[in-house]
Amino acid sequence: MSALASIHDLTVTYRRDGNAVAALRNISLDIVAGERLAVIGESGSGKSTLALAIAGLLPASSAVDGRIEWPGPGQPPLLGRDIGFVFQDPSVSLDPVMTVGKQIAEVARTHLGLTWSQAYAKAKTLLERVRLPDPDSALHAFPHQLSGGQKQRVAIAAAIAAGPKLLIADEATSALDTIVQAEIVALIRRLVAEDGMTLLFISHDIALATELAERIAVFRHGQLVELGTTARIVGAPAQAYTRTLLDAHIGLDAAPLLNRSGLHA
Amino acid sequence: MSLLTVSNLTKRYRRGGKVVTAVDDVSFHIEPGETLALAGPSGSGKSTIAGLVLRLIEPDAGRIEFEGDDFLALRGAKLRARRARLQMVFQDPLAAFNPRATVARVLDDPLRIHGIASRAERPRRIAALLERVGLAADLAPRAIHEISGGQRQRVAIARAIATGPSLIVLDEAVSALDVSVRGQILDLLLDLQSQERIAYLFISHDLGVVRALARRVILLDAGRIAESGDARAVIDAPQSAIGRALVAAAPRLKRTTQDAS
Repeated sequence: MSALASIHDLTVTYRRDGNAVAALRNISLDIVAGERLAVIGESGSGKSTLALAIAGLLPASSAVDGRIEWPGPGQPPLLGRDIGFVFQDPSVSLDPVMTVGKQIAEVARTHLGLTWSQAYAKAKTLLERVRLPDPDSALHAFPHQLSGGQKQRVAIAAAIAAGPKLLIADEATSALDTIVQAEIVALIRRLVAEDGMTLLFISHDIALATELAERIAVFRHGQLVELGTTARIVGAPAQAYTRTLLDAHIGLDAAPLLNRSGLHA
Repeated sequence: MSLLTVSNLTKRYRRGGKVVTAVDDVSFHIEPGETLALAGPSGSGKSTIAGLVLRLIEPDAGRIEFEGDDFLALRGAKLRARRARLQMVFQDPLAAFNPRATVARVLDDPLRIHGIASRAERPRRIAALLERVGLAADLAPRAIHEISGGQRQRVAIARAIATGPSLIVLDEAVSALDVSVRGQILDLLLDLQSQERIAYLFISHDLGVVRALARRVILLDAGRIAESGDARAVIDAPQSAIGRALVAAAPRLKRTTQDAS
């Protein structure tokens, strides 16, 4: 098991109203090549900051300590070419005045050196791969003409257009309803398997993480609480906080909160 | 007599020249002190029904009876008085509140507007409301944007109960909360319900929460009722296509890693 990325003692500090706020504190972990790793946590846990740090997308005003190493051969990874990033809200990440086809083709043209016509052909293939209905007309559609789930499929197509090694999905299904969420999770799972990508799946939803990931990293207040296989995190959590998150999940088999007999007394 | 009876409610929107029926001939009732859940995918009409019941949106057809009156026929002072009995909590309290207000101001408004407490009496009432929802009274002077998301949703609940409602519409009211906070807010809602006998119209996309909280559930699909009944019976064995799809899609804690397929 070789590491795609090795994170050593990573600390990220944001400046807010003149105060320094540590978003990540002394994080060390390896992302194994080819694995599906979920990073879970609540608001302010630092999970999105970790994703941004790995992608090289931290704001210029942030202070970074520690290092992220990429042990594999070749240059340090380039966002868009070697790392694909899918954000929570495709309405924001897609350009509203550019056709869907052009947004995907632009990635392929920039990073793969294709001509525009080759890039458009690639875009059409990608729209088929993400199972967008009627890819021919979708190429010429604008984002606002698509549903939320369809837009997220387009954002995924653009993210994988250059054949990245690492796909980062930051709350990529959180704004979608459960049925569409399940479809997008299945799509990500299939694409990652077909292309042999490594997946970093950032989520607040521990149950969703267990459905997709082989390993789970639990974050809280900017620190790594624990990291382990999905089976171990769910079956034998080492930390009380992980147990709290597991217990807080209200599944379809949860005991009713409602005392029914008392209601109509 | 039911607390709320909704009959044949219909709402159509015109969108880009096309007519979309957001709510299509929907009927249901809520008994005093009970929780009825509305669940369904995006665009199924859940939030439109909330808006119709609250009279934030006017229906194209149908009838709403609330506390024995034809709610859609109420006007002026009678409508304002009755609104005190029908309150709401939305998903994002930051969007629902004046962002420049303090906690005290948010709670002072309903007490003043509905003439519930005199000016001299209101600070004491505000302190009592904060305490009722598990917040410290010294939170009152804080700005609404300064406090945490969980605290804000408690303030939203305090604002909703300030006027002594018999029904609160909860539209995705716990969906944006961290899971550790969500449990506390659900406990608070259940406690208020058992103490004050408030009924809830609980709108959620999360079937796990619906099953744990509600006595009955209505599953919506494209503005129509696909299925309804006892929440546990419906969710444990859904009969409609949308019910089966919603249940299949609900995330489950998995103990073993599946191979990619």
